[in-house]
Amino acid sequence: MFILDTLLVKPLMTIADTLHTMAVNEVYDVGAIQDQLKETRLLYELGELDRETYETRSEELRDDLELAEEMQQKLLSGNVQVAQT
Amino acid sequence: MTEYLYTYGVTDDGSFELDLPAVEDATSVYTVDYRRYSAIVSDIDTMEPEQTDENARLHDDVLQALIEDRTVVPMRFGMTFKNARALKSVLRGGQRAFRRALMNVDGKVELGVKLVTEEGVDVDREAVRDDVRERLGEVSNDRAENDLFSDRLVVNDSYLVAHEDREAFDEVMGDVTEAYEGQLKVQYTGPWAPYNFVDIEIGAQGAQ
Repeated sequence: MFILDTLLVKPLMTIADTLHTMAVNEVYDVGAIQDQLKETRLLYELGELDRETYETRSEELRDDLELAEEMQQKLLSGNVQVAQT
Repeated sequence: MTEYLYTYGVTDDGSFELDLPAVEDATSVYTVDYRRYSAIVSDIDTMEPEQTDENARLHDDVLQALIEDRTVVPMRFGMTFKNARALKSVLRGGQRAFRRALMNVDGKVELGVKLVTEEGVDVDREAVRDDVRERLGEVSNDRAENDLFSDRLVVNDSYLVAHEDREAFDEVMGDVTEAYEGQLKVQYTGPWAPYNFVDIEIGAQGAQ
């Protein structure tokens, strides 16, 4: 349904474009990474993660988040290239 | 250096000035008043404070210190005004909303309750939620449901609790912790400023 809805809204968008947008959205899911950050913080506060693990994991997730936000931005501006394999 | 005003919240408990560590290294918190409403502010040299953990903690610390003996309608992080005139015009325009919000939260604090499954434990989530909400509903005025951002989160609620019900709420939380020992970990936090129980949107024009 999502693809059809999107194509109806943006009839000039090809199916390849739409699939690509969906793929990028899934890989660079800002909300999911933010949730993982919050979960990591919660588990640290509950004593399940030690400080070192918490800090390492949070730092990795912050890097992921930064990349995801950057990619989403590029996606919105239409500057993402699809790699052909 | 241009100085702007960073806002923490609004109170009707009168004007004051306090030495407190505040957002972006400010050291003093004071009020900008319009009639009976006082916006709680500190000086800041940017319109867009950095959203760092440290700044977020300072924003919250200021509110924590103030709610001990005042009723405060909290603002979300980042509300900055160009000058006292702009802020006063927001206080003037928002009088009705501030009055209503202050009435709703007068004499009450927000408490946070999170229940998280122990690793590898499965529980009847719906039954746990119903049970906990029923127990806590009897010792609170209102409840707000927050985002279940982790698969292990069963409950993530905020409660609005009157000062005189704090002890009873603590006791019920003790019962809840005992009832689910071995199945659920409990995180009980607060008191917080009542972020989840006021809904005031300040228009962008107010911040200019």
